[in-house]
Amino acid sequence: MSAILTRDELALALGRTGEGDRAAFRRVYEATSAKLLGVTLRILADRQIAEDVLQDTYLTVWRKADSFDASRASPITWLVTIARNRAIDRLRSGAVMRKSTPIDEVVTVIVDDAPSPAQALETGDDVRRLNDCLGQLDDRTGGAIRTAFIEGVTYDALAVRENVPLGTMKSWIRRGLLRLRVCLES
Amino acid sequence: MTDPTDIGRMDEDLALAGELALRVLSPGDEAAARARAAADPAFAAHVEAWNERLGGLADGIAPVEPSFRVWPRVEAGLTPPAAANDNSIVFWRRWAIGSTGLLAASVAAVIVLLAQPVPVPIATPAPPPAVMRVATLTLESGAAAMTLAYDTGTGELYLAPTTEMAGDNRVPHLWLVLPEGGVQLVGAIDGSTTSRHSLGRALSGPAGVANAVAVSMEAPGHTPAQNRPDGPVVASGEMQQL
Repeated sequence: MSAILTRDELALALGRTGEGDRAAFRRVYEATSAKLLGVTLRILADRQIAEDVLQDTYLTVWRKADSFDASRASPITWLVTIARNRAIDRLRSGAVMRKSTPIDEVVTVIVDDAPSPAQALETGDDVRRLNDCLGQLDDRTGGAIRTAFIEGVTYDALAVRENVPLGTMKSWIRRGLLRLRVCLES
Repeated sequence: MTDPTDIGRMDEDLALAGELALRVLSPGDEAAARARAAADPAFAAHVEAWNERLGGLADGIAPVEPSFRVWPRVEAGLTPPAAANDNSIVFWRRWAIGSTGLLAASVAAVIVLLAQPVPVPIATPAPPPAVMRVATLTLESGAAAMTLAYDTGTGELYLAPTTEMAGDNRVPHLWLVLPEGGVQLVGAIDGSTTSRHSLGRALSGPAGVANAVAVSMEAPGHTPAQNRPDGPVVASGEMQQL
Protein backbone atom coordinates (compact mmCIF):
# COMPACT_ATOMS: atom_id res chain seq x y z
CA MET A 1 0.00 0.00 0.00
CA SER A 2 3.03 2.28 -0.25
CA ALA A 3 1.70 5.13 -2.30
CA ILE A 4 4.51 7.09 -3.89
CA LEU A 5 4.42 10.81 -3.20
CA THR A 6 6.98 13.32 -4.36
CA ARG A 7 8.75 15.42 -1.78
CA ASP A 8 6.48 18.39 -2.51
CA GLU A 9 3.33 16.28 -2.31
CA LEU A 10 4.44 14.84 1.01
CA ALA A 11 5.29 18.31 2.35
CA LEU A 12 1.84 19.49 1.31
CA ALA A 13 0.11 16.49 2.92
CA LEU A 14 2.09 17.07 6.11
CA GLY A 15 1.10 20.74 6.10
CA ARG A 16 -2.58 19.77 5.77
CA THR A 17 -2.14 17.22 8.55
CA GLY A 18 -1.06 20.12 10.72
CA GLU A 19 -4.42 21.73 10.00
CA GLY A 20 -6.21 18.60 11.20
CA ASP A 21 -6.91 17.04 7.77
CA ARG A 22 -7.26 13.31 8.45
CA ALA A 23 -7.31 12.31 4.78
CA ALA A 24 -3.98 14.09 4.29
CA PHE A 25 -2.62 12.36 7.39
CA ARG A 26 -3.70 9.01 5.93
CA ARG A 27 -1.76 9.84 2.73
CA VAL A 28 1.32 10.65 4.82
CA TYR A 29 0.93 7.33 6.62
CA GLU A 30 0.51 5.33 3.46
CA ALA A 31 3.46 6.95 1.75
CA THR A 32 5.88 6.70 4.69
CA SER A 33 4.88 4.01 7.20
CA ALA A 34 6.92 1.25 5.51
CA LYS A 35 9.97 3.49 5.53
CA LEU A 36 9.51 4.45 9.16
CA LEU A 37 8.89 0.85 10.25
CA GLY A 38 12.16 -0.02 8.51
CA VAL A 39 13.84 2.65 10.64
CA THR A 40 12.29 1.58 13.98
CA LEU A 41 12.81 -2.12 13.24
CA ARG A 42 16.53 -1.68 12.55
CA ILE A 43 16.92 -0.03 15.93
CA LEU A 44 14.62 -2.25 17.99
CA ALA A 45 14.99 -5.59 16.16
CA ASP A 46 11.56 -6.68 17.42
CA ARG A 47 8.60 -6.36 15.11
CA GLN A 48 5.98 -5.96 17.84
CA ILE A 49 7.89 -3.24 19.67
CA ALA A 50 8.85 -1.56 16.39
CA GLU A 51 5.17 -1.38 15.41
CA ASP A 52 4.24 0.02 18.83
CA VAL A 53 6.83 2.73 18.36
CA LEU A 54 5.55 3.31 14.82
CA GLN A 55 2.05 3.90 16.17
CA ASP A 56 3.43 6.26 18.76
CA THR A 57 5.44 8.03 16.05
CA TYR A 58 2.38 8.77 13.92
CA LEU A 59 0.43 10.03 16.91
CA THR A 60 3.31 12.41 17.52
CA VAL A 61 3.31 13.37 13.84
CA TRP A 62 -0.42 14.14 14.06
CA ARG A 63 0.13 16.38 17.08
CA LYS A 64 3.28 18.09 15.84
CA ALA A 65 2.62 18.40 12.12
CA ASP A 66 1.75 22.07 12.54
CA SER A 67 5.37 22.70 13.53
CA PHE A 68 6.74 21.18 10.30
CA ASP A 69 8.39 23.89 8.20
CA ALA A 70 8.95 22.83 4.60
CA SER A 71 11.43 25.66 4.08
CA ARG A 72 13.74 24.24 6.75
CA ALA A 73 13.33 20.49 6.67
CA SER A 74 12.72 17.73 4.16
CA PRO A 75 9.42 16.06 5.07
CA ILE A 76 10.80 12.51 5.05
CA THR A 77 13.80 13.54 7.15
CA TRP A 78 11.49 15.26 9.62
CA LEU A 79 9.45 12.05 9.93
CA VAL A 80 12.53 9.80 10.11
CA THR A 81 13.98 11.97 12.89
CA ILE A 82 10.83 11.55 15.00
CA ALA A 83 10.66 7.79 14.38
CA ARG A 84 14.35 7.28 15.01
CA ASN A 85 14.38 9.30 18.23
CA ARG A 86 11.29 7.50 19.54
CA ALA A 87 12.85 4.12 18.74
CA ILE A 88 16.13 5.07 20.44
CA ASP A 89 14.25 6.33 23.50
CA ARG A 90 12.48 2.99 23.68
CA LEU A 91 15.72 1.06 23.12
CA ARG A 92 17.44 2.92 25.93
CA SER A 93 14.52 2.71 28.32
CA GLY A 94 15.96 -0.68 29.21
CA ALA A 95 12.80 -2.50 28.17
CA VAL A 96 14.40 -3.85 25.01
CA MET A 97 17.41 -6.09 24.71
CA ARG A 98 19.05 -5.94 21.36
CA LYS A 99 21.51 -8.23 19.71
CA SER A 100 24.51 -6.49 18.26
CA THR A 101 25.70 -6.74 14.69
CA PRO A 102 29.30 -6.05 13.71
CA ILE A 103 29.68 -2.81 11.81
CA ASP A 104 31.06 -4.50 8.69
CA GLU A 105 27.94 -6.61 8.40
CA VAL A 106 25.69 -3.56 8.64
CA VAL A 107 27.54 -1.77 5.89
CA THR A 108 27.28 -4.83 3.66
CA VAL A 109 23.55 -5.05 4.20
CA ILE A 110 23.10 -1.41 3.30
CA VAL A 111 25.19 -1.61 0.17
CA ASP A 112 23.23 -4.64 -1.00
CA ASP A 113 19.81 -3.07 -0.43
CA ALA A 114 17.79 -2.64 -3.57
CA PRO A 115 16.52 0.89 -4.25
CA SER A 116 13.23 1.34 -2.47
CA PRO A 117 10.10 3.13 -3.69
CA ALA A 118 10.43 5.41 -0.67
CA GLN A 119 13.60 6.79 -2.18
CA ALA A 120 11.36 8.87 -4.34
CA LEU A 121 10.56 10.80 -1.15
CA GLU A 122 14.09 12.03 -0.70
CA THR A 123 15.61 14.06 -3.45
CA GLY A 124 18.09 11.60 -4.93
CA ASP A 125 20.76 14.28 -5.22
CA ASP A 126 20.88 14.90 -1.46
CA VAL A 127 21.33 11.22 -0.72
CA ARG A 128 23.95 10.79 -3.42
CA ARG A 129 25.86 13.74 -2.05
CA LEU A 130 25.70 12.38 1.50
CA ASN A 131 26.95 9.00 0.31
CA ASP A 132 29.75 10.62 -1.70
CA CYS A 133 30.85 12.64 1.32
CA LEU A 134 30.66 9.61 3.63
CA GLY A 135 32.70 7.70 1.08
CA GLN A 136 35.47 10.27 1.43
CA LEU A 137 35.88 9.42 5.13
CA ASP A 138 37.95 6.41 6.03
CA ASP A 139 35.91 3.18 6.07
CA ARG A 140 35.89 2.74 9.85
CA THR A 141 34.63 6.27 10.43
CA GLY A 142 32.00 6.16 7.72
CA GLY A 143 30.90 2.74 8.98
CA ALA A 144 30.68 3.91 12.58
CA ILE A 145 28.55 6.94 11.65
CA ARG A 146 26.21 4.77 9.58
CA THR A 147 25.90 2.21 12.35
CA ALA A 148 25.25 4.88 14.96
CA PHE A 149 22.49 6.32 12.80
CA ILE A 150 20.89 3.10 11.67
CA GLU A 151 21.09 1.14 14.92
CA GLY A 152 20.89 4.05 17.36
CA VAL A 153 23.86 2.94 19.44
CA THR A 154 26.09 5.12 21.66
CA TYR A 155 29.84 5.71 21.63
CA ASP A 156 30.25 3.07 24.32
CA ALA A 157 28.62 0.34 22.25
CA LEU A 158 30.46 1.39 19.08
CA ALA A 159 33.83 1.30 20.85
CA VAL A 160 33.14 -2.17 22.26
CA ARG A 161 32.08 -3.50 18.87
CA GLU A 162 35.07 -2.11 17.07
CA ASN A 163 37.33 -3.04 19.96
CA VAL A 164 38.88 0.42 20.20
CA PRO A 165 39.17 2.75 23.22
CA LEU A 166 36.18 5.02 23.81
CA GLY A 167 38.31 8.12 23.15
CA THR A 168 39.36 6.77 19.77
CA MET A 169 35.77 6.14 18.72
CA LYS A 170 34.76 9.64 19.85
CA SER A 171 37.64 11.12 17.91
CA TRP A 172 36.73 9.20 14.73
CA ILE A 173 33.12 10.26 14.83
CA ARG A 174 33.64 13.89 15.86
CA ARG A 175 36.24 14.46 13.19
CA GLY A 176 34.19 12.47 10.71
CA LEU A 177 31.11 14.60 11.38
CA LEU A 178 33.05 17.84 10.94
CA ARG A 179 34.60 16.62 7.67
CA LEU A 180 31.21 15.45 6.51
CA ARG A 181 29.76 18.89 7.15
CA VAL A 182 32.53 20.64 5.25
CA CYS A 183 32.05 18.26 2.33
CA LEU A 184 28.25 18.67 2.30
CA GLU A 185 28.45 22.47 2.42
CA SER A 186 31.15 22.79 -0.24
CA MET B 1 45.45 9.62 16.64
CA THR B 2 45.23 13.29 17.55
CA ASP B 3 43.49 14.35 20.71
CA PRO B 4 39.81 15.05 19.97
CA THR B 5 39.87 18.05 22.30
CA ASP B 6 42.06 20.15 20.02
CA ILE B 7 39.13 21.05 17.82
CA GLY B 8 38.33 24.79 17.88
CA ARG B 9 35.46 26.22 19.95
CA MET B 10 33.10 26.71 17.02
CA ASP B 11 33.82 23.20 15.76
CA GLU B 12 33.34 21.96 19.30
CA ASP B 13 29.74 23.19 19.25
CA LEU B 14 29.12 21.79 15.79
CA ALA B 15 30.54 18.42 16.77
CA LEU B 16 28.47 18.30 19.98
CA ALA B 17 25.32 19.19 18.04
CA GLY B 18 26.16 16.39 15.59
CA GLU B 19 26.71 13.94 18.42
CA LEU B 20 23.36 14.89 19.93
CA ALA B 21 21.57 14.46 16.60
CA LEU B 22 23.32 11.14 15.99
CA ARG B 23 22.45 10.11 19.59
CA VAL B 24 25.89 8.68 20.34
CA LEU B 25 26.37 10.49 23.67
CA SER B 26 26.20 8.76 27.04
CA PRO B 27 23.01 9.51 29.03
CA GLY B 28 24.73 12.11 31.22
CA ASP B 29 26.35 13.93 28.31
CA GLU B 30 23.09 13.73 26.37
CA ALA B 31 21.21 15.32 29.27
CA ALA B 32 23.68 18.19 29.37
CA ALA B 33 23.57 18.64 25.57
CA ARG B 34 19.75 18.57 25.61
CA ALA B 35 19.72 21.22 28.30
CA ARG B 36 22.08 23.29 26.18
CA ALA B 37 19.79 22.91 23.15
CA ALA B 38 16.81 23.96 25.27
CA ALA B 39 18.61 27.08 26.46
CA ASP B 40 20.59 28.06 23.35
CA PRO B 41 18.64 28.56 20.09
CA ALA B 42 21.83 28.77 17.99
CA PHE B 43 22.94 25.40 19.30
CA ALA B 44 19.43 23.97 18.77
CA ALA B 45 19.61 25.16 15.15
CA HIS B 46 22.89 23.27 14.73
CA VAL B 47 21.18 20.11 16.00
CA GLU B 48 18.32 20.59 13.54
CA ALA B 49 20.77 21.11 10.70
CA TRP B 50 22.49 17.86 11.63
CA ASN B 51 19.17 16.00 11.61
CA GLU B 52 18.67 17.31 8.12
CA ARG B 53 22.19 16.38 6.97
CA LEU B 54 22.16 12.89 8.44
CA GLY B 55 18.56 12.04 7.55
CA GLY B 56 19.64 10.69 4.17
CA LEU B 57 21.35 7.79 5.97
CA ALA B 58 17.89 6.29 6.40
CA ASP B 59 17.75 5.94 2.65
CA GLY B 60 19.78 2.75 2.90
CA ILE B 61 17.25 1.14 5.25
CA ALA B 62 14.90 -1.27 3.54
CA PRO B 63 11.21 -0.40 4.07
CA VAL B 64 9.06 -2.92 5.92
CA GLU B 65 5.31 -2.86 5.35
CA PRO B 66 3.53 -2.52 8.73
CA SER B 67 0.79 -4.97 9.60
CA PHE B 68 -2.80 -3.92 8.91
CA ARG B 69 -3.35 -3.49 12.66
CA VAL B 70 -1.21 -0.37 12.98
CA TRP B 71 -3.30 2.20 11.11
CA PRO B 72 -6.56 1.50 13.00
CA ARG B 73 -4.66 1.93 16.27
CA VAL B 74 -3.19 5.21 15.05
CA GLU B 75 -6.59 6.39 13.92
CA ALA B 76 -8.19 5.41 17.22
CA GLY B 77 -5.66 7.58 19.03
CA LEU B 78 -6.35 10.72 17.02
CA THR B 79 -7.94 13.53 18.91
CA PRO B 80 -9.90 16.00 16.83
CA PRO B 81 -7.82 19.16 16.58
CA ALA B 82 -10.54 21.09 18.36
CA ALA B 83 -10.51 18.73 21.33
CA ALA B 84 -6.73 18.60 21.38
CA ASN B 85 -6.64 22.34 21.79
CA ASP B 86 -8.05 22.27 25.27
CA ASN B 87 -7.18 25.24 27.40
CA SER B 88 -4.26 23.75 29.24
CA ILE B 89 -2.43 22.66 26.07
CA VAL B 90 -3.03 25.97 24.36
CA PHE B 91 -1.80 27.68 27.49
CA TRP B 92 1.41 25.66 27.64
CA ARG B 93 2.10 25.81 23.90
CA ARG B 94 1.64 29.54 23.84
CA TRP B 95 4.03 30.05 26.74
CA ALA B 96 6.52 27.50 25.50
CA ILE B 97 7.70 29.90 22.79
CA GLY B 98 10.72 32.03 23.60
CA SER B 99 12.59 32.40 26.86
CA THR B 100 10.46 35.29 28.08
CA GLY B 101 7.50 32.99 27.54
CA LEU B 102 9.25 30.23 29.42
CA LEU B 103 9.82 32.48 32.36
CA ALA B 104 6.25 33.74 32.28
CA ALA B 105 4.95 30.17 32.21
CA SER B 106 7.06 29.34 35.18
CA VAL B 107 5.83 32.38 37.06
CA ALA B 108 2.25 31.46 36.26
CA ALA B 109 2.83 27.92 37.49
CA VAL B 110 4.42 29.15 40.68
CA ILE B 111 1.46 31.39 41.31
CA VAL B 112 -0.91 28.47 40.73
CA LEU B 113 1.13 26.26 43.03
CA LEU B 114 1.49 28.86 45.73
CA ALA B 115 -2.25 29.37 45.66
CA GLN B 116 -2.76 25.73 46.62
CA PRO B 117 -2.94 24.69 50.28
CA VAL B 118 0.53 24.06 51.62
CA PRO B 119 0.99 20.69 53.37
CA VAL B 120 3.80 21.96 55.60
CA PRO B 121 3.70 23.29 59.18
CA ILE B 122 2.18 26.76 59.32
CA ALA B 123 4.73 27.95 61.87
CA THR B 124 7.68 27.67 59.45
CA PRO B 125 9.66 30.88 59.96
CA ALA B 126 10.27 32.76 56.72
CA PRO B 127 13.98 32.45 55.90
CA PRO B 128 15.51 35.80 54.93
CA PRO B 129 16.94 35.93 51.36
CA ALA B 130 14.79 33.31 49.62
CA VAL B 131 15.22 33.17 45.87
CA MET B 132 12.83 31.46 43.52
CA ARG B 133 14.50 29.55 40.69
CA VAL B 134 12.25 28.38 37.88
CA ALA B 135 12.47 26.32 34.70
CA THR B 136 10.17 25.12 31.98
CA LEU B 137 11.23 21.74 30.68
CA THR B 138 10.51 21.13 27.02
CA LEU B 139 10.50 17.95 24.97
CA GLU B 140 12.69 17.65 21.90
CA SER B 141 9.64 18.61 19.86
CA GLY B 142 9.55 21.95 21.69
CA ALA B 143 6.37 21.13 23.60
CA ALA B 144 6.44 22.01 27.31
CA ALA B 145 6.63 18.91 29.50
CA MET B 146 6.85 20.39 32.98
CA THR B 147 7.33 23.57 34.94
CA LEU B 148 9.56 23.59 37.98
CA ALA B 149 10.08 26.10 40.74
CA TYR B 150 12.63 25.85 43.50
CA ASP B 151 12.62 28.00 46.61
CA THR B 152 16.22 28.32 47.81
CA GLY B 153 14.97 29.62 51.16
CA THR B 154 12.88 26.63 52.16
CA GLY B 155 14.42 23.95 49.92
CA GLU B 156 10.97 23.29 48.53
CA LEU B 157 10.62 22.10 44.97
CA TYR B 158 7.36 22.47 43.04
CA LEU B 159 6.69 20.45 39.92
CA ALA B 160 3.84 20.94 37.47
CA PRO B 161 3.91 18.44 34.58
CA THR B 162 1.79 19.01 31.47
CA THR B 163 -0.16 16.22 29.82
CA GLU B 164 2.84 15.52 27.56
CA MET B 165 4.29 13.05 30.05
CA ALA B 166 1.05 11.18 30.75
CA GLY B 167 0.52 7.65 29.50
CA ASP B 168 4.15 6.55 29.67
CA ASN B 169 4.68 3.46 31.80
CA ARG B 170 8.28 4.40 32.51
CA VAL B 171 9.11 6.47 35.58
CA PRO B 172 10.30 10.07 35.08
CA HIS B 173 13.41 11.01 37.07
CA LEU B 174 14.52 14.58 37.65
CA TRP B 175 18.17 15.66 37.22
CA LEU B 176 20.12 18.82 37.96
CA VAL B 177 22.64 19.86 35.30
CA LEU B 178 25.57 21.20 37.33
CA PRO B 179 27.59 24.30 36.40
CA GLU B 180 30.85 22.34 36.58
CA GLY B 181 29.43 19.74 34.16
CA GLY B 182 27.75 16.44 34.89
CA VAL B 183 24.34 15.77 36.34
CA GLN B 184 22.93 15.03 39.80
CA LEU B 185 19.89 12.85 40.39
CA VAL B 186 17.08 14.48 42.37
CA GLY B 187 14.82 11.45 42.24
CA ALA B 188 11.74 9.84 40.76
CA ILE B 189 8.87 12.23 40.15
CA ASP B 190 5.19 11.99 39.36
CA GLY B 191 4.67 12.84 35.70
CA SER B 192 0.89 12.92 35.96
CA THR B 193 0.15 15.56 38.56
CA THR B 194 1.64 18.55 40.38
CA SER B 195 3.78 17.74 43.38
CA ARG B 196 5.87 19.34 46.12
CA HIS B 197 9.13 18.00 47.46
CA SER B 198 11.40 19.10 50.23
CA LEU B 199 15.04 18.81 49.15
CA GLY B 200 17.48 17.69 51.82
CA ARG B 201 20.78 19.42 52.53
CA ALA B 202 22.67 17.30 49.98
CA LEU B 203 20.46 18.46 47.13
CA SER B 204 19.52 21.98 48.14
CA GLY B 205 23.04 23.26 47.37
CA PRO B 206 23.21 21.86 43.82
CA ALA B 207 19.58 22.90 43.18
CA GLY B 208 20.52 26.48 44.05
CA VAL B 209 23.28 26.64 41.45
CA ALA B 210 22.22 24.19 38.70
CA ASN B 211 22.25 25.64 35.17
CA ALA B 212 19.43 23.48 33.97
CA VAL B 213 17.19 20.57 34.83
CA ALA B 214 16.35 17.47 32.83
CA VAL B 215 14.01 14.49 32.99
CA SER B 216 14.98 10.94 32.05
CA MET B 217 12.55 8.05 31.70
CA GLU B 218 13.66 5.02 33.67
CA ALA B 219 12.33 1.47 33.68
CA PRO B 220 9.84 0.85 36.52
CA GLY B 221 11.62 -0.25 39.69
CA HIS B 222 15.00 0.89 38.44
CA THR B 223 16.99 3.59 40.22
CA PRO B 224 19.85 4.99 38.16
CA ALA B 225 23.23 6.04 39.57
CA GLN B 226 23.36 9.52 41.18
CA ASN B 227 25.37 10.96 38.30
CA ARG B 228 24.12 9.13 35.24
CA PRO B 229 20.64 8.44 33.88
CA ASP B 230 20.22 5.02 32.28
CA GLY B 231 17.01 5.80 30.42
CA PRO B 232 16.61 8.38 27.65
CA VAL B 233 16.52 12.06 28.55
CA VAL B 234 13.21 13.29 27.20
CA ALA B 235 12.95 16.85 28.47
CA SER B 236 15.16 19.64 29.73
CA GLY B 237 15.09 23.34 30.49
CA GLU B 238 17.26 26.18 31.67
CA MET B 239 17.03 27.36 35.30
CA GLN B 240 16.26 31.03 35.72
CA GLN B 241 15.98 33.26 38.74
CA LEU B 242 12.81 35.18 39.46
